[in-house]
Amino acid sequence: MTRGHWSKLLIALLALPALLLPAASLGYILWRAGPVLDWAFVSSADEGMGFGVASGILPQLTGSLLLAFSACLLAAPVALGCALYYQLCAGTGRRGILLILLQMLQGIPPIVFGLAGLLIFVYLLDWGVSLASGAVVLAGVVLPLLTVNVIDALQRLPTHYSESARSLGLRDGELIMRVWLPMAWPGILTGLLLAMARALSETAPILFTATVFSGAGWPDSIFEPVTTLQTHVFYLAQEAADEQAVATAWGSAAVLVGVVLIFALLAQCLRRMSGSRSD
Amino acid sequence: MNTQINIESRQRTQAASSSLQVRGLSLRLDGRVVLRDVTLQLPATGITTLIGPSGAGKTSLLRCLNGLLEHWQGEVRIAGKDTRQWPGGWDALRRHVGLLGQKPCVFPLSIRANVVFGIQGFWRRRRAAARVEHYLRQAALWDEVAERLQQPAQRLSIGQQQRLCLARALAVKPRMLLLDEPTASLDPTSKHLIERSIGRLANELPVLWVTHDLEQARRLGGQVVFMCEGRIIEQGASEAFFRRPQRLESREFINWQVCDCGGPS
Ligand SMILES: Nc1ncnc2c1ncn2[C@@H]1O[C@H](COP(=O)(O)OP(=O)(O)OP(=O)(O)O)[C@@H](O)[C@H]1O
Ligand SMILES: [Mg+2]
Repeated sequence: MTRGHWSKLLIALLALPALLLPAASLGYILWRAGPVLDWAFVSSADEGMGFGVASGILPQLTGSLLLAFSACLLAAPVALGCALYYQLCAGTGRRGILLILLQMLQGIPPIVFGLAGLLIFVYLLDWGVSLASGAVVLAGVVLPLLTVNVIDALQRLPTHYSESARSLGLRDGELIMRVWLPMAWPGILTGLLLAMARALSETAPILFTATVFSGAGWPDSIFEPVTTLQTHVFYLAQEAADEQAVATAWGSAAVLVGVVLIFALLAQCLRRMSGSRSD
Repeated sequence: MNTQINIESRQRTQAASSSLQVRGLSLRLDGRVVLRDVTLQLPATGITTLIGPSGAGKTSLLRCLNGLLEHWQGEVRIAGKDTRQWPGGWDALRRHVGLLGQKPCVFPLSIRANVVFGIQGFWRRRRAAARVEHYLRQAALWDEVAERLQQPAQRLSIGQQQRLCLARALAVKPRMLLLDEPTASLDPTSKHLIERSIGRLANELPVLWVTHDLEQARRLGGQVVFMCEGRIIEQGASEAFFRRPQRLESREFINWQVCDCGGPS
């Protein structure tokens, strides 16, 4: 073997865990979830007083989606505003400050968000453990990610479009509405999908602020709690003695991974498509 | 004291008759000096050609005049008004001073939408659709695109895109035109058509025309401004400039070009 072969082999060996680990964990989850995973599991609700141990996870699935969607809905305008502000103050020191703030926000552990949310929204504002509290806290968690993605989408627009528009005398508002948003929307949507995936996988921020163990269905108002897949897995896993509960936990985990993957893959597809279009 | 007032009033009347007055304009980009103490006057109407070697700062000067670059030192007065205190701000200034960029850049929209892109207000854009033909004719493009106004503008050739950009700049109805090599990638026929139509426009408004084509500069007549390394080296009537350039740099520049073309020396 030549030296080139050896180095290639070494690189392949080092890269192996990166390939094997996701595949293995996905396979393991599916294998454990296999016994309970069927259409009825996903499409039926909690019957009776089983605390969700032995029944379908429809309320949890809808709760997760509802919470994540509300969080993104709240975060989107703020993220867009931040990103547009960032773009408009090109060449000034304010850009750096905004980036540092975003990084700081990203560096806060999600559980701290959960605690702050508990204090501020649940107790201080008296919203209770509810969809509203959870959505606001979760919005805070995904905000930096979303903002960075929207900034990225705007930055990837060729600068000569902005320049031509400016040289024609377009004002900032017109530039945004007629050049930036129409051209950057695929990137912005990609960011939203990634934020959805992130919001769906967060547990700590909603643990104290939005969810109850079981018995909550589709909430009647935004001030009612929901149940989610993430926290469902968390609660069920604590019942390690109960085999049925563990099986349901694995099933829920598989569904959660599936939903997150769908959003992440959609985002990737959109990124590919918009990438090839602008070439 | 009296003389002071006299000088000032004379300067003011000069400013009124000349459309553009640049005094001591300097510009740095990324720490490099790009323009040094540029002083320039444009008459109220007519074409002024700006020539000079590549990298001389012609494009940068045009971008300063139109306000695309905002961080320069010195003073620019248009129709007697300081551009830094332009009523309505830089956006209004850019509508007043049309700039045709060196690289054509059309928006990923239809040809028609591109022509009216710079017009403000949705309804005014809709109404301007009727005048699209007028602007495209001024840019010598109408005959080629008359049948396909709804097609994407990005399918046009580079030369066609350049003319579309000219039509787009004209549609804003600027009161002054800055053209950065508007005929760089055009065939002789389109070149002449554009020279004619801009020549007609120049009866009413001042035009500053950057070109590398000395034959064209000669044809356009009017004034010639020669720039080199961010400085204005020489400035004068076209005929005199080409017959007897005063400065060594301009003489060399003209002679090189003539030798390069293999034309009469
Ligand atoms: N954005 C920028 N950042 C830094 N330097 C720049 C920038 N734009 C232009 N320059 C520099 O300024 C100088 C003048 O450039 P400019 O484009 O004005 O030249 P030009 O006379 O238009 O040349 P050409 O005839 O090739 O178009 C060049 O040396 C260029 O490197
Ligand atoms: Mg140039």
